[in-house]
Amino acid sequence: MLGVGLHPFGRFGEKDVIEIGREAVLKAIDDAGLPWQKVGAAYCGTVFAGPMAGNKVLARVGLTGIPIVNVENACASGGSALREAYQSIAGGFCDVALAFGMEKMPKGFIAGNPNDWFAVMGLAVNPQYFALKARWHMATFGTTEEQLVQVSVKNHRNGALNPFAMYRKAMSFEEIAKSQMVNDPLRLLMLCAPNEGGAAVVLCSKEIAKQYTTKLIKLAAIVLDSPLYGTTEVPHISVSARVEAPTVTMTAAQEAYSQSGIGPKDLDLVELQDTDSASEIIYTEELGLCARGEGGKLLDDGATEIHGEIPVNVSGGLLSKGEPLGASALAQVAEVVWQLREEAGPRQVKNARVGLTHVYGALGNCAVSVLHR
Amino acid sequence: MLVASETDTVNAVPIAPNLFEFSADGAHLIGSRCINCGEVRFPVNDFCPQCCTETTERIALSRRGTLYSFTVQRFRPPPPYRGSENFQPYGVGMIELPEGLRVTTVLDDNNPEGLSVGIEMELVVTKLFEDEVGRDVLGYKFRRVNS
Repeated sequence: MLGVGLHPFGRFGEKDVIEIGREAVLKAIDDAGLPWQKVGAAYCGTVFAGPMAGNKVLARVGLTGIPIVNVENACASGGSALREAYQSIAGGFCDVALAFGMEKMPKGFIAGNPNDWFAVMGLAVNPQYFALKARWHMATFGTTEEQLVQVSVKNHRNGALNPFAMYRKAMSFEEIAKSQMVNDPLRLLMLCAPNEGGAAVVLCSKEIAKQYTTKLIKLAAIVLDSPLYGTTEVPHISVSARVEAPTVTMTAAQEAYSQSGIGPKDLDLVELQDTDSASEIIYTEELGLCARGEGGKLLDDGATEIHGEIPVNVSGGLLSKGEPLGASALAQVAEVVWQLREEAGPRQVKNARVGLTHVYGALGNCAVSVLHR
Repeated sequence: MLVASETDTVNAVPIAPNLFEFSADGAHLIGSRCINCGEVRFPVNDFCPQCCTETTERIALSRRGTLYSFTVQRFRPPPPYRGSENFQPYGVGMIELPEGLRVTTVLDDNNPEGLSVGIEMELVVTKLFEDEVGRDVLGYKFRRVNS
């Protein structure tokens, strides 16, 4: 991982999404310290920026004739672009590759497809599905509403230290616990906001990296999985009650651990898909950071705090940053790279050597990466 | 025994075809069961994603099940949602049916205090809204038994 760059996440008025993407790319190129002409392939993740968005961004960076591939994979779009970039280098097709993503999403909850009868009936609101999962977890493992509030308190506290986050503001327990109920048990300040932002990363082969930096950060695994039959994805009209397959987060994490030779106990920090407070608790379990049903306890023990045993979402997570779909995974990667380089300022995790990123999107697209220094 | 759909009348239409129909006992959802693996899905589909084959048969799903999980929709969903102008919060749940599947549904109930995981629920087919030509558009919901 040679260079990373972010355009802040938030709301930027009339600013064009192509310009948002371009700024992130230019920062990543600058951070990599090599000329744009060295980049041999580019992969762009976006959902809302329209056809050929990646080509439009790079036309304003420089026309060098390289392959540009546009990737739409919901919340896992950026992670999917990263995997393509990795494979182009691992496959020997180029020495340096770029993965980037950007969005300018409409305000409010993501609308359903006009042709879907269940959307017309009122069953296509994403937080409903997060809430159904949350309620099930509470009924099964005793996870509490207080714990849901505490996840959001933690991530907003972390995000207050991140200049790229949308809110950049700590929020009190009271403020979150009394925010508007959206889908019981989830309240407004326990849900991430779709927004605007951009992120880019430059990858290269080890030989090239040595020419440009002494702080080598290795991408030890990047996995993209779709779900097995029998799992419960967003959205679902019916799911099997007979087949209990491992979730896509479980399978992607297992493959990433196996590819990298790094296990959950080796991790120094994790950036995961906190679409809502309950998701963070559930994913700490599915990523193997604790046993099934113990996610609430892991939080209560303080393990997921910046200076805890396994810090989770030190960047502020999606709860504080917001979620521009195509950029979110790459922003997680940027955070881990900064942490491993010890460039994360006030939110620096002590002695961070190994980090993991995780995104999960519609219909069960899931991308997991493992990085180490 | 299934009888011909009674939902397509001059005054009422289902929100989508093949979701539910009426038998002598009342309304029920229509599902499909794979003759290879036995998995049952809703809505009816000729394809089984577990076997990767078109090996399903159409079946009537049980009218009763248990509440697997639930939430309450507190705000008016964005379009294409069609509900009354005067929005009232409504429940959303997953109902586990004896055929071995969990169906996502609107609940004919919006008081979360009265809902809990595991309680018995039953199907109702009910008017959702009126379409452009004044017909009742029918959809399925579940409600508490004896509520």
